[in-house]
Amino acid sequence: MDSPASGIADSRSALVNAAECQACPAHAQLARMGVDVAGSDHIVALAGNPNTGKSSVFNALTGLRQHVGNWSGKTVTRAEGAFALSGKRYKLVDLPGTYSLLSASQDEEISRNFLLFGQPDCTVVVTDATALERNLNLVLQVLEITDRVVVCVNLMDEAERKGLAVDVRSLSRDLGVPAVPTVARSKQGMAELVSTVAAVIDGEVKTSPLRVEHPAEVSDAIRGLAPLIEDLVPGLPNARWVALRLLDGDHRVREALLSGELAELANRQRQAAPAQSSRIRALEGAQ
Amino acid sequence: MPADAQVILDRSDTLRSELGGSFRDRMVEALYQNAQRVASRSVRATGAGKWDFDQRVDRLVTSRWLGLPLMLLLLGAVFWVTILGANVPSQMLASALFAVEGAAAAWFESLGAPWWLTGFVWHGVFRGLAWVVSVMLPPMAIFFPVFTILEDLGYLPRVAFNLDWLFRRAGAHGKQALTMAMGFGCNAAGVTSTRIIDSPRERLLAILTNNFVPCNGRFPTLIMLAVIFVAASFPPAVASFAAAGAVVGVVLLGVAFTLAVSWALSRTVLSGEASAFTLELPPYRRPSFLRILYTSLIDRTIFVLGRAMLTAAPAGAVIWLLANIEVGGAGLSTHAIRALGPLGEAVGLDGVILLAYVIAIPANEIVVPTMLMCYLGGSMMMDVTTYEQIRAVLVDQHGWTLLTAVNLMLFSLLHNPCATTILTIWKETRSPRWTALGAIMPLAIAFLVCLLTAQASRLLL
Amino acid sequence: MTPLGIFLAALVAGALIAMPRVGGAALWRRFRSRRERALSEDALKHILAWKHRSQLASLQSLAGALRIAPRSALRLAARLQSKGWIKIGGTGIGLTSSGERRALQVVRAHRLWERHLSDDANMPMARLHQAAEKAEHTLSRADVARLDAHLGHPEHDPHGDPIPRDDGKVAALNAVSLNEWPEGVAARIVHVEDEPHAVFRQILSAGLRPSLVVRVLERDSRHLLVEANSTERRIDRAVAANIEVEEARDRDLLPSDATRLSDLALGTAGEVVALGPRCQGFSRRRLLDLGLTPGATVQAALDNTFGDPRAFCVRGTMIALRKRQAEQVWIRRLPESPTRGAHS
Repeated sequence: MDSPASGIADSRSALVNAAECQACPAHAQLARMGVDVAGSDHIVALAGNPNTGKSSVFNALTGLRQHVGNWSGKTVTRAEGAFALSGKRYKLVDLPGTYSLLSASQDEEISRNFLLFGQPDCTVVVTDATALERNLNLVLQVLEITDRVVVCVNLMDEAERKGLAVDVRSLSRDLGVPAVPTVARSKQGMAELVSTVAAVIDGEVKTSPLRVEHPAEVSDAIRGLAPLIEDLVPGLPNARWVALRLLDGDHRVREALLSGELAELANRQRQAAPAQSSRIRALEGAQ
Repeated sequence: MPADAQVILDRSDTLRSELGGSFRDRMVEALYQNAQRVASRSVRATGAGKWDFDQRVDRLVTSRWLGLPLMLLLLGAVFWVTILGANVPSQMLASALFAVEGAAAAWFESLGAPWWLTGFVWHGVFRGLAWVVSVMLPPMAIFFPVFTILEDLGYLPRVAFNLDWLFRRAGAHGKQALTMAMGFGCNAAGVTSTRIIDSPRERLLAILTNNFVPCNGRFPTLIMLAVIFVAASFPPAVASFAAAGAVVGVVLLGVAFTLAVSWALSRTVLSGEASAFTLELPPYRRPSFLRILYTSLIDRTIFVLGRAMLTAAPAGAVIWLLANIEVGGAGLSTHAIRALGPLGEAVGLDGVILLAYVIAIPANEIVVPTMLMCYLGGSMMMDVTTYEQIRAVLVDQHGWTLLTAVNLMLFSLLHNPCATTILTIWKETRSPRWTALGAIMPLAIAFLVCLLTAQASRLLL
Repeated sequence: MTPLGIFLAALVAGALIAMPRVGGAALWRRFRSRRERALSEDALKHILAWKHRSQLASLQSLAGALRIAPRSALRLAARLQSKGWIKIGGTGIGLTSSGERRALQVVRAHRLWERHLSDDANMPMARLHQAAEKAEHTLSRADVARLDAHLGHPEHDPHGDPIPRDDGKVAALNAVSLNEWPEGVAARIVHVEDEPHAVFRQILSAGLRPSLVVRVLERDSRHLLVEANSTERRIDRAVAANIEVEEARDRDLLPSDATRLSDLALGTAGEVVALGPRCQGFSRRRLLDLGLTPGATVQAALDNTFGDPRAFCVRGTMIALRKRQAEQVWIRRLPESPTRGAHS
């Protein structure tokens, strides 16, 4: 294993690189397209805890200027914007900031439903480098729903100010998805974030998300339920998560299973797959 | 297929009962254990850093003795800066725009336009716009950026933290302080921001009482009255402080009404006790001034001003028409003012003020312009641009007293929300009953309070 | 003039009565149907309650329980029979299987509503039953399902009674009366009987409620000496008869050095041991989501003018909690150290 220090040096150099990269091709091709979301090729969701600078990331990517107040929950509506990279157009959906996706509140319900039923091509989870532990709670939940995730470790400058060093490479290795260090306020790391999102969507970067280890009796219950769900809805990528939600008594997921909505989702994913063979690879990689 | 799904659901129910009722606890515990493991491998403390500084600031702004005075001082400072900075630009804007009105009207006449066209366009529509721009733009252009700095610093959640005890006693949620802060900008925005309150009962309280925070549309009224009637009786050196103090006083009165009404609602139609409460105190962030200027000027100032102008133009037209359409030897507005007169007198106001509030239902911003246009009538008093001149018109020609000023401030603080806010309440609650209560209750309170002060002052003085 | 006036008055009166939804007739019809529903459901509950005592209800018991005249009870029984909910035999009244399902639906609505009032509105225990008695007759099955999901599918109501599932299954309660519990063994209260009300009030005023862990220290012919939350209380055997207990599970037992988060001195830190049983529903889920799970380090960071709420540092974030909520978080004090454990 690398010493933590080398990883930190690496993450810092990544930041510096991103900042110096203003003239490099990847950055030159990033076009901020504001609210013009028509005819986009891919949908990217932006999730994250409140107060992680999610709105700053949104603004930095789309060139929009959504107001960034420093209090929890100021993004009370779902905002949409767009950006383009290498000739492809991406629609960016800013989800309400939430601590978790266990549908305790309306915001969490909105975010969860979009990740599950909106089927974004990639989900960027913005995390606060100064409180990674709490933010990872949400990341782990998102990883249960979808494989195509990029973790944006934002507020790297604040972390440094507070005397915390974040080893982004180790984080990425542990989570099984790419992690990108950023300082969204000064647009550092945005180019790398965008190219990583594109790479995940194109299948150039394969992900194998970390699965949460549950206590034995919970895992047993999941193992008892997940195969039944896979039999009923073949091709469902997140049967394990559905099992967890059913065990927790999630009303919306129960309904989705009863009404056949989940089956429809799985069908849509299967049909989309031949057109984008990369997706099949990503799915196979996960199973 | 649905039958199979039912089997799965039943199986999940059975498994859940077997796990014994604490499934959620164990699931979240596992999530955090995993998160902790991952985080501990990738995060390392390199030193103390500047964390201590944040904590020291926090200890100061929430301190037992200094927390609340500091808050009042900041609030006062924001108003003081606004009043001090807005005074001169307001007058300059007014004289410039009224010069345009005069010149353009003369130009129309030289072209041979009929008197009613000149009057309607320039003394009606344009004058309405000119008043709104000159009265509103300078205070907003100063207030919004200054307030946005406080917001971006992360100070507002500390205010909620400091005041939560009061809200708890009133049966409400401390985050209501945050939604009230948003209400300073615009009550409609304040009502929308109540979504941050999770529990429906406390959220309704916040929606129904947001109106008691004077929004930017009402600030100019308060500032004007504070300057004309309060500051005027102080020596010039401290006049601006006195005016700011008066505005702070009105805001505090609004807070008192918010708490009292929340308390009353909590014990009647919205009975219950405050439930879950969590409030995140985010770390302080250095505000980025360029973005603040941009968002507060474009998103807020121009947006609010644009809305005000949209309603001011037709309002100006209406006022001009009311003044110039004659029925039975007098203008329509004269009839309306005469009809509203007795009610106005009873509550310590007058007919013109009430008429202005009726016309200003779409947007509170146009109350002062409407009032002044009614008072000045068809007269061509272009030179009424400074506060001293306005004071002369109100006091000397229209018999305003200190009671009129105080009651207008009270009425402005308490009266019904504007049409946009009422619509927003409907959108957020989807209930005609709560919307009606949100509109009628403040109006009733406003009339009642004004009636009481009017009667009390008449008894005592 | 007068005939016209009478005609107009009649017209207005007629309109007021006949108006759909808000007219007098419509209101009366609605009132009647609500009352009928309430009577039927209370009758079914009564018969179910007697069945649980292995007894058959009778017209007399029905009239007594619902406080209606015997004649009305007869009419009511006839109506329930015609709906196929009850069977009237020579020995008394019993429930059909569809009648029992219906009765369990009502019980389910009642207990979920109590849970809702207790979790979401902090209503005192003593007032729950009355409020739920009214609400149970106004909820539709879909309402109840939504409520169930919102509350996170609770298993028990605030008194500790199991909440029947939508399919009518009821979790078995294998508890014994506190009177029979052996001395010195930790027991968890699983149920307190809310009737008769006078006894229920005594239980509440002794601070005893479901989920609390108690120990019987000694007993004589009339009293029990019970320890709970490290306080000792002497209670009457007649009162103890209305308290049912089970053996305490490991996770019910708090370590002896556990204190409440609200007692943590400013600037010191503690480790979360458990969330108290009274913290339920949305409040509990939110605290969990914020990371107040067992093992988490919390530091009391900020106080304010009024001393409530206070802000705590949890997993690198500052969270303000009201005293009432902080009381529900059990912690173990950590030795003071120069490093800020909460931010690691």
